[in-house]
Amino acid sequence: MRLKLCSILTLFAVLCTGLSFGQEKTITGTVVDQYGMPLPGVNILVENTTTGTQTDFDGKYSIQASQGSTLIFTYIGQQTVRKQVGASNTIDVSMKEDAEALEEVIVTGQGSGIQKRKLSTTVDVLKEEDIDKLPANQIDQLLQSTTPSAQIRLSSGQPGTASIIRTRGPISAASSATPVIIVDGVRVDNLNSNPANGIGTGGANTSALADIPTESIERIEYIKGGAATTLYGADAANGVIQIITKKGKAGKATVFFENRLGIIKATDDFLKYERTGEAIFETGFSQEYRIGINGGNEKFTYNFGGSLYADDGFNDLNKQIKRSFTFGLGAQVTDQLKYQGSFSYVGFDSNLDFNANTSFSRFSAFEGGGRGNLDELSDADWQVEKDRAQLIGELVDIRRVNNRFTASNKFIYSFSDNLEANATVGVDYRTSIDEENDTNALFIALGSRPEGTTDQASFTRFLRNNFTVTSDLNLTHRAYTDNFSFVTILGAQFFRTADRQNRLDGSGGVDGTTSINTFPTKTASDFVLENANYGLYFLENIGFYNVAFLELGGRLDANTSAGKDTEALFLPKIGLTYNVSDHDFYRESGIYDVVSSIKLRANYGEATNFAQPFSQDRTFALESFLGAPAFRFDQPGNPGLISETVKTSEVGAELGFFNNRLNFSGTYYKAITEDALFTPTQPPSSGLIPQVQNIGEIENSGWEFALSSRIIDTEKHQLQASVSYNTNENLVTSTGGAAPFVVGGFTVIGSWVEEGQSLGYLRGTAAVLQDDGSYAFEPNTALGKTFAPNFGSMTLNYTWGDFNLYASADYQFGGKIVDLSFLLRHLRGVDDTGIPEELIGTTSPFNYVNFFTFDNDFLKVRNIGASYRFGDMLKPFSNVTFGISVTNPFNWTAGSFDPETTGSGIGAQNGFSSGGFAYGTESVPRVFMSSLKFQF
Amino acid sequence: MKKIQLYIGAVLLSAIVGCTGDFKEVVDFTEVTNPTLSEESVVGQPNSAVIWAAGIEREISRTFNEILILAELGSDNYENTQTFFSQFLDGLDIRTTDPDIRDTQNEIARVAKMAQFGLETVGPNDPNYSPAQEAEFHYYLGLSRMLSAMYFSALPQETVGVPVVSAENYQSAIQSFQTAVSISAKPEYHLAIARSNYYLGNKSAAVSAANAALALSTDFTREAKFDEAEGPSNAMEDALYERATFDDFQPLPSLDFLDPKYSFLSPEQDASVHYLKAEEAYLILAEANLSDGNVAAAQANLNDLLDLVATREVRVIDDRAEQRSEVDPGGRPDNSGVVVNGRSGLVLDRQDGVVAVPSISGTSLTTAEIAAFANDDESLSKLYRTRQEIFIAEGIRFVDMGVKLVINENEILQNENVNEGDFGTVAVIPSFIASIIPDLDAFTYDAGAGVATTTVDLNDVLVANKTSEAVVPFY
Repeated sequence: MRLKLCSILTLFAVLCTGLSFGQEKTITGTVVDQYGMPLPGVNILVENTTTGTQTDFDGKYSIQASQGSTLIFTYIGQQTVRKQVGASNTIDVSMKEDAEALEEVIVTGQGSGIQKRKLSTTVDVLKEEDIDKLPANQIDQLLQSTTPSAQIRLSSGQPGTASIIRTRGPISAASSATPVIIVDGVRVDNLNSNPANGIGTGGANTSALADIPTESIERIEYIKGGAATTLYGADAANGVIQIITKKGKAGKATVFFENRLGIIKATDDFLKYERTGEAIFETGFSQEYRIGINGGNEKFTYNFGGSLYADDGFNDLNKQIKRSFTFGLGAQVTDQLKYQGSFSYVGFDSNLDFNANTSFSRFSAFEGGGRGNLDELSDADWQVEKDRAQLIGELVDIRRVNNRFTASNKFIYSFSDNLEANATVGVDYRTSIDEENDTNALFIALGSRPEGTTDQASFTRFLRNNFTVTSDLNLTHRAYTDNFSFVTILGAQFFRTADRQNRLDGSGGVDGTTSINTFPTKTASDFVLENANYGLYFLENIGFYNVAFLELGGRLDANTSAGKDTEALFLPKIGLTYNVSDHDFYRESGIYDVVSSIKLRANYGEATNFAQPFSQDRTFALESFLGAPAFRFDQPGNPGLISETVKTSEVGAELGFFNNRLNFSGTYYKAITEDALFTPTQPPSSGLIPQVQNIGEIENSGWEFALSSRIIDTEKHQLQASVSYNTNENLVTSTGGAAPFVVGGFTVIGSWVEEGQSLGYLRGTAAVLQDDGSYAFEPNTALGKTFAPNFGSMTLNYTWGDFNLYASADYQFGGKIVDLSFLLRHLRGVDDTGIPEELIGTTSPFNYVNFFTFDNDFLKVRNIGASYRFGDMLKPFSNVTFGISVTNPFNWTAGSFDPETTGSGIGAQNGFSSGGFAYGTESVPRVFMSSLKFQF
Repeated sequence: MKKIQLYIGAVLLSAIVGCTGDFKEVVDFTEVTNPTLSEESVVGQPNSAVIWAAGIEREISRTFNEILILAELGSDNYENTQTFFSQFLDGLDIRTTDPDIRDTQNEIARVAKMAQFGLETVGPNDPNYSPAQEAEFHYYLGLSRMLSAMYFSALPQETVGVPVVSAENYQSAIQSFQTAVSISAKPEYHLAIARSNYYLGNKSAAVSAANAALALSTDFTREAKFDEAEGPSNAMEDALYERATFDDFQPLPSLDFLDPKYSFLSPEQDASVHYLKAEEAYLILAEANLSDGNVAAAQANLNDLLDLVATREVRVIDDRAEQRSEVDPGGRPDNSGVVVNGRSGLVLDRQDGVVAVPSISGTSLTTAEIAAFANDDESLSKLYRTRQEIFIAEGIRFVDMGVKLVINENEILQNENVNEGDFGTVAVIPSFIASIIPDLDAFTYDAGAGVATTTVDLNDVLVANKTSEAVVPFY
């Protein structure tokens, strides 16, 4: 440190005396990496002076220096280069990777991006090569088990259904835990629940996550909330998933064609009755054809990706078709102005089956004992049941069609080497048509209408259009001296969402039509949400001796979903990062050979979630009551309604051992949701319906550990393994005086919000064995937390020359879940497994719901895949890759049912989902897939 | 490059200029519009009072949906053999945490809030506001107070206000009903005054109001209507009929012939609850006369009652889906051959085709029984049996039992005027009821012999305790 102090004093002296050496001239050049790609942000300093600059976004620089002086080029992750200024005015530099340095990542958040080593927050990154290995084509499935600290729970096997995504525990009782999703700077529809007016098919709701374009992804960054998302404002408290698409690379054009063929087989591990599978499951086939073109020159680059996908599911009636294409381009318009554009289209059609909470569901009827104990049916009786189920299967007609267009435009203008402006404007438009056609024939097959009925068909068409426009304008300024660096970002962001839903219901119809015109009775309903959010943000990242960084930032955030008595929220953030191992003294010390890198970080930041648009308004409703109009009070309104604020503090360390062959990351976080949006029951004397209010407080804390290692690292063999372990402690610390309220499930056994308990914990009446052998019934007993407090993932990657083997798994333990199918079987008298005899038939099963509550522990292997690169052996192709993979091959669970299949719990639009109830929902299937990729 | 900078400058300048004019809406994306109705769309509009009143009627129907399920299960009228409806009231397990009781309190309060908003805001601002409409708003407010008094030992009248005891709520109700009468009288306003005074034990006031009601009409009813298509549909109809084989509510065998009072009407309209009807006036008069030892007058009242009942609709319905019961077929009396408590004709043959069930009022009371009335407990017990029969599925039996619900924990936690343990937060169950809770729905049944006997005759129990403050108010 004393040395550094000397440097500062020297620098000061130099500044004061204003000495100069020799005749200065302007040196220009380009800095590229070892592959010839331009390197932006390389620090260039004239040795022993204060003169310095940075390369621009094309790796170009210009600096004043005198002949004979030395330029020092430094860039993290690259070996430092020194060049003496000679007679030439041009010095081009090619830098080589520095294996010893921490891997560099530029986070493309707000502004122009900041080097990862300067950040005090952690970001999970999935790169192109990782994505290519995965057979999935849905964003949540890509992230599952590949992001060390996210819990992604696939809640149904039905096509396009939603997963529950969460990272640092449940932070909000008012919204789903789904992160904001941003594609090339543009927010896209991320509705991960049934829409408000959507068709309830028993929880099988297609999610907007299913049609996020996964073509041509260059990288996915998962930013987990807290200080990392402060600048995103608005509703980023659940984190942000940032997708950056390919814009093409200069050089020879590459073209690839890929064919993926798969077999989709139902996961039957969790069936109560094998016969359920026999009646409903039917192994399906999937095929996908993908094409990609990538190329460009130094002025213009382009990328195109297209895909056609179809499968016929694991169940006899499921089908899905996905058609998508994306293109991205980059253009150097002038020396200063650069343009990047991307466009994508995804069309997604699917056929769903009824699930869970509907009497039409074959699966939940079978598994819930609704058709009796299948094991006890005679072969003849079973044949009747099977025929019935198959007939129903042929008649169920639930179709979903989603079309999504996303376009992003980014303009980058370099005023100087140090000052750059970015402007992004883009739109996402997603339209959904959901149809359910319940024919007379279906009703008859279900037994809910008498044989011969011809005029009771009903038909529902639900239309939803979601339009989002995003714009962002920011300035990034970089400055530095030889001991300090400054990155300053100033920006303004705006987005607007309009969600318009219309629903048409027809009844009393005949079969053979899906035109609403032909149904004698028609009703219509609509639902509208509009929200505009705007914010100003700033960030200052100050580097000290290029080892420590202080980050200060904030966002002034306003949105139209706040009450009229509120003001814009200011969300501050502060972070500190100290790369201990970047000190010269450290590198020279003996410890370096063992502990090759040490990064310490700490930060505090605030992020928000806003309430559902319009929930601040006092409204009235006009009902139709016996054919006459009838007013009533509706939403009481809340002029003081404001976003809930999640205040997160975290400290962490990243350690690299043995030349970073073993890397460890550990983070402790504590996130307090203040002004938490709770919708408790009003005091009954008010006569009001519940109103969302800022009255709660929720606390989440936990540890995030990740360990990755290159176990074998020879020229031919590389074996990498990673494992993560996360903990989460969740507590509702205040309900603002409100009584406990239910946020999911049922009154008798529900997910509750109560002071002193975990958010959405399970509460019901428990039967407790007394000393005298009798049972006491204890109402409102806490039966466990629905969010598993321990979870993590594992990956294994082995490369032997051109051969690659890949596997991933994830696990959770410590949480609880109610097996509602079992409860139903018991209610229907076909399953008393584990229930004390004293209770059976003597009291309502709702008095002993503890016997239907189980651990939700599991370990699931998500993917195993192998591939071989044939290289140019098969000319004319420059490369051919063959791969095989299996998805969801192995499961180990605590109970006999699948604790992930909670499709029935996400009914309300963007509502809280505890995932605490497993009920009549098919598990995600096993997929065996082969892929063959030709490149030329 | 300068050219481009100039160009950008020009564009920015024109944008700024543009924003000042009509072009603003092209670039201002912050305007959002909530399409839902605001107060301005309701208040001050012609005919808004009528539409507001229709909303209150709808709200009253919702309120009965809450009350009737609890009150009928809590009484000896019905037993819950499934789990879909309240889990607690059947055993008179009255808890501050019961969400059904919470919703009941909330709905009752909402009727009052809506009535007050009608009186203070909607009505006065409606150019077409009529005195009859104003009277109705007073009636609605009174109804809310009367329901508070009938079912709760204490309930606040204002948001998080001081709990008001049952007797005071009855007084408030009477005040509102009297105001309604003074503006534009209707028989049900008088009957509501009569009922409030009846439960207060104000015999003469009850009698005079009952007579005033009958003076206006001898066959009136005030009904809570239900919308089968748009809701609310009749929850009791679901429990008694629509859920068919779920067999949720099973009547006491002695009341089998009166079940289901509510059944399918049409795809548009569900069966009404006739919650204030002329029958009640006769029953109040009869009880008053009996308590005065004026047996002949009581007999005349009861004969008038039978005459009226004879004019009421009897619906012929197919109730074959109803088992006695589905979970235990044949476990309950299910044919007309069964003799209940020594009386025959109380059980219907549901499996033989259609059955005839009264939809407003029905009773097993006969003119012969009336003729045998005397100034004794047996006659009083028969009168109470008749009340039970006439008012089945209308929530009156529960009130006659003297049982009161409690203030819900949501109120206790958020209302500083109420604490756990206060009067109003503890269930009121008269000791003579508390001691027989398990027997309220119990009976013995010998299917082979066709004999069923209820374990207790609650009418006798009530009459035996007629001097208690809690029951039989005129004694």
